[in-house]
Amino acid sequence: MSESIQTALRTRARELLELGEVSCVIGYERSPRGRVRPAFIYEPADADRLVWDNTCHHNLMVYLHDRKTPPRRGEEVPRVAVVAKPCDVRALNVLLHEGQIAREKVFVIGVACAGMCEEGTEELQARCRRCRERVPIFYDALVGEPPKVTAVDEDWADVVELEGMSAAERLAFWTREFDRCIRCYACRQACPGCYCFECMAEQVDPLWVGIAIELPEKAFFHVMRAYHLAGRCVECNACELACPMHIPLSLLNRKIAKEVEALFGYRAGGDPQTPPPLATFRKDEELPL
Amino acid sequence: MSDNFEPRIVGFLCNWCSYAGADMTGTSRIPYPPNIRIIRVPCSGRVDPLFVLKAFQEGADGVMVLGCHPGDCHYSEGNYHARRRYALMHRFLDFVGIEADRLCIDWVSAAEGHRFAQVVAQFTAQVQPLGPWNGLQRRRR
Amino acid sequence: MKLTSREQLAAWLDALMERATVIAPRQVECGGGSGTHLLLYQPVASSAEVVFDFQRTAMSPKGYFLPSTEVLFEIEKRSNEVTLDEALPQDEQVLFAIRPCDARGLRVLDALLVEHEPADAYYAQRRRNTTLVGLACPHLWPECFCTAIGGAPDDSADVDIMLYEVDGGYLVSEITEKGTALLAGLNAEETDQPAPVSDRSGPSVPVLAPEAWPALFNELYWARLSDRCLSCHACTYVCPTCRCFDVRDYTRAAGPNGIHIERLRSWDSCMAAAYRRIAGGHNPRPSKMHRLRNRYYCKFNYCPQDFGAVACVGCGRCIAVCPVGIDITEMLGEVAALAATLEERGKGKG
Repeated sequence: MSESIQTALRTRARELLELGEVSCVIGYERSPRGRVRPAFIYEPADADRLVWDNTCHHNLMVYLHDRKTPPRRGEEVPRVAVVAKPCDVRALNVLLHEGQIAREKVFVIGVACAGMCEEGTEELQARCRRCRERVPIFYDALVGEPPKVTAVDEDWADVVELEGMSAAERLAFWTREFDRCIRCYACRQACPGCYCFECMAEQVDPLWVGIAIELPEKAFFHVMRAYHLAGRCVECNACELACPMHIPLSLLNRKIAKEVEALFGYRAGGDPQTPPPLATFRKDEELPL
Repeated sequence: MSDNFEPRIVGFLCNWCSYAGADMTGTSRIPYPPNIRIIRVPCSGRVDPLFVLKAFQEGADGVMVLGCHPGDCHYSEGNYHARRRYALMHRFLDFVGIEADRLCIDWVSAAEGHRFAQVVAQFTAQVQPLGPWNGLQRRRR
Repeated sequence: MKLTSREQLAAWLDALMERATVIAPRQVECGGGSGTHLLLYQPVASSAEVVFDFQRTAMSPKGYFLPSTEVLFEIEKRSNEVTLDEALPQDEQVLFAIRPCDARGLRVLDALLVEHEPADAYYAQRRRNTTLVGLACPHLWPECFCTAIGGAPDDSADVDIMLYEVDGGYLVSEITEKGTALLAGLNAEETDQPAPVSDRSGPSVPVLAPEAWPALFNELYWARLSDRCLSCHACTYVCPTCRCFDVRDYTRAAGPNGIHIERLRSWDSCMAAAYRRIAGGHNPRPSKMHRLRNRYYCKFNYCPQDFGAVACVGCGRCIAVCPVGIDITEMLGEVAALAATLEERGKGKG
């Protein structure tokens, strides 16, 4: 299956570049060390570098932010094609909704996805086991057939486990986890939803966080970052996969996703028409405070 | 926690209702716990969750966000946004270990001097047994 | 040369812990019970915590010389009285099982921070206070390329004591007087067994001479290379020779009419957009292409020219840590090829 997807991806990329439809195809390639990494294809002849398998976990939508402005003043913003899994398309949907990306500047090569595996194993990532969206909600071209995969039900087990602890235990847990952080911002940089020109963590006036690489700064950054993604995080796990210190960041995002669903009945990136929950309200709603 | 612990509470009060409500409490000579340190903001919708977390990190034991009653916002809808924001923030802070009882969002109108005193007293009593908040703060070697 | 067993080494470490902070590779559990671990140099309370068999720690040990955050000094003003407290670090440290590449990284930092005026007093003091106990690698690990850059898996040039794992224990080689002094109390027997020679086979990575880099500065290659860069700080923070920092004063009230000022220094990264921003908002390195290129030029062109040291020791951490697979050895290979092509083209024109 992945092989036929790979062939189709290469063909499509070559075509798009030959016809001049796009200036670049963003996809995946294999590094000389054998690991899959993002690839940027500019020439039709390079299209054969593209690969597809169950380790293509990067969310490539993050690179669209680099291509929002023209390379030189007065020029057009070049159109790019991007290989997108269903979860990646939900992230793109959030960006479209927030007016970050012009739809006509992106050619979405949607891929029917059977799920991504945990690093170095053949075991599906937990989020992929739960995923019910095997085909992207929109695309300009679709590659692959919808795979026959039975999704397991979302039970929020990881979140519930932590909720079951006492507040003191939870604090101890997060103190331990946050303390490992080195403030490298790999989580933020890998996240398509984190595109602020200046992050509150690096803002100088007012100085919310400061320069120290110590527990208060680390905790502040992670808590606020997760909160800024409330109703926007599509659970692509790019943050957690990028984290060199193995901080379970998805737990923060999933806690918020769980509450957003319970409070507002909303799932991020699923529907381009509904505004994200913290950008809207209902006058008559009863919310537990 | 010792009975004589006096929690430090930061209160973000909206200019149009709650701050005026607190004024009313004062001019009406209604006593309320001195634990609250009031910061006047234009609207409860102005209270960025950053403010709340920053207050906790700078030594607050509890944080209150008080605004106009839903429907009465001076800017029409600021408090509706605040309501959503803090309904979520409440649960999220609890998840990272800052007990939900340390955060309060409520509505006090300019005429509710009695209610302001009551809300502050209630919240102070709620935070007192939790003891001082010193999590996620600096630990110097 | 002495021969000792792991048990005797452990007993010696435990005794050392009584009087010095012992920093050693330690397994750190991540994510509660999720089963993932990280290996980090950390202060240990018992030799039982020390991991003797390992490849490479996730972070270099530079943080014990140039901490990720440190207080440079404190000023307190109360009414008319002003006090300045500048405490240089006094703790005696023993860094156990440092790899030759990381030790070499410290030599690079010495060139930049101590041998070059003005010297960094805090770093220099920590260097003086620390004894390095090296542990030779039997061969190069995945991602390693120390041999391509002038190092070796059993290079003992930059440590005070060198350990070599052999059958039945460790060979202990005293390199410096500081090392000899530290070894007092180690139960070991003299031996004439020679130190084992590590397998030096590794990837052949061409490293372009410092003076050849400027000609490549404006090549399109840098833009293409940085396409996938996320501009995170991971590579610079794990690197044994990246040493950029930021300094800031923090002020708070201290009693009635009092003021307390703390000058903090923290790691900073040239990968950050704000790193090079200057007053008025101008940024001479506005894009990630400028920043990634600068990082490599710093390592292979600026540092060698200004301080006489290539600021890379081939530890491979930046390769292992990069979330998007940017590989410094691949870059070096491509840059060398590019330089050759340009030279070829130049000849053609001539």
